Amino acid sequence: MTTQHGVIALIPQACTSCMICVRECPSWCITVDSHQEEVSEPGSRRPRTVSVLDNFTIDYGLCMYCGICVDVCPFDALAWAPDVDYSSDDRAGLVHDTERLAGWVPHE
Amino acid sequence: MRTVDRVDWLETLTGFHDSGLRYLDLLTGIDRGDDVEILVRVVDPARLAEPAGVETITTLVPAADRRLPSLVSLYPAASWHERETAEMFGVGFDGHPDPRPLLRRTALGAPPLLKTTVLAARVVAPWPGAADPAGGRRPARRPRPLGVPEDWLREDWMSEEAT
Amino acid sequence: MIGTLSARQAFRLADLPGVRVVMASLGLACCAMEVESAVRMGLLLEDDQEPAEAERTVLLVAGTVTDALVPAVTAVLAELPQDTTVVSFGACAGTGGPYWDAPTVTKGVDQLVVVARYVPGCPPRPDALVAGLRSVASEGGIRS
Repeated sequence: MTTQHGVIALIPQACTSCMICVRECPSWCITVDSHQEEVSEPGSRRPRTVSVLDNFTIDYGLCMYCGICVDVCPFDALAWAPDVDYSSDDRAGLVHDTERLAGWVPHE
Repeated sequence: MRTVDRVDWLETLTGFHDSGLRYLDLLTGIDRGDDVEILVRVVDPARLAEPAGVETITTLVPAADRRLPSLVSLYPAASWHERETAEMFGVGFDGHPDPRPLLRRTALGAPPLLKTTVLAARVVAPWPGAADPAGGRRPARRPRPLGVPEDWLREDWMSEEAT
Repeated sequence: MIGTLSARQAFRLADLPGVRVVMASLGLACCAMEVESAVRMGLLLEDDQEPAEAERTVLLVAGTVTDALVPAVTAVLAELPQDTTVVSFGACAGTGGPYWDAPTVTKGVDQLVVVARYVPGCPPRPDALVAGLRSVASEGGIRS
């Protein structure tokens, strides 16, 4: 069974909003919106600062399936999945947001 | 691979041709900034595995006088290679029998493959990579998409204030 | 001017006899290779017949629509029935794809005609083609 490059899946828990995939994408088809939050932890003097991913989108109308984003993510938050059945009535339907990207099941 | 002076270009290639390297494999340009480097590769198909069967040479064409003698009289195949190099790098090939553009539909506008020719769409379109990473840490230097020179970037288009 | 008849090929979906696919094979070859692959795999069957009554024609645009080819594409569009369903196959035909930044590329065939379905991919696999065509067929109006 080949590792079919059908669609790219996101593992949101692994994403730190570092933006490396966004900057490396040759087609400019990835966007990441995020913000920082302070998290107090009992027993520690200072609160921790964590990144919170607000929205991650890939525009599959522009994507050329090069896989640079998958290769370059330091946290393996992006992975190839085999699905190919996601055509759309309109261009907007080709833009997948966090929820939709997280719904694709990566290859083993 | 070696570099020859522009004045020796035709003579050197004539020498290769006379010694049996009759097949033009490639002629193209490389933008080196001040000069355009023209690279040519000629071969003898029967001797491809031998050092003497393949010759690759380059020459530098200065920006002030971007011309080079055409090789079409020696290698007819150079016709299309030179036409493409001409339209992409703005180099003129003296003596070319048919100096029309090959791929471009117009001869107007900056030669597309010179590094000074910036692809307008990439300057105008907002780059997703310019958005601040989580934490709002603004990098000291605004990140630029690859290939966009410093003075071409409209800083205000990518700042938060502008959106 | 490209002869429009020679730029077209007609196919039927192997498992959807009511759908006749007319493919405009213009532009870059990459996506057209996947359509050819679908033929070789038996997913699409070549077809020479004129459309029967109540059959719907689907125009599949596979490949980059360069500005130079716009006259040829519009000529093909003009020859087809009014109710032809247009499906864009691949990123280039959908939006210009990786060539969205090129001054010589039309950013999607939907700049010329209303597109009913966008099949993403670069190139999409033959099974993506069948899935996309099946989505169009199931949206009604096409007998199977």
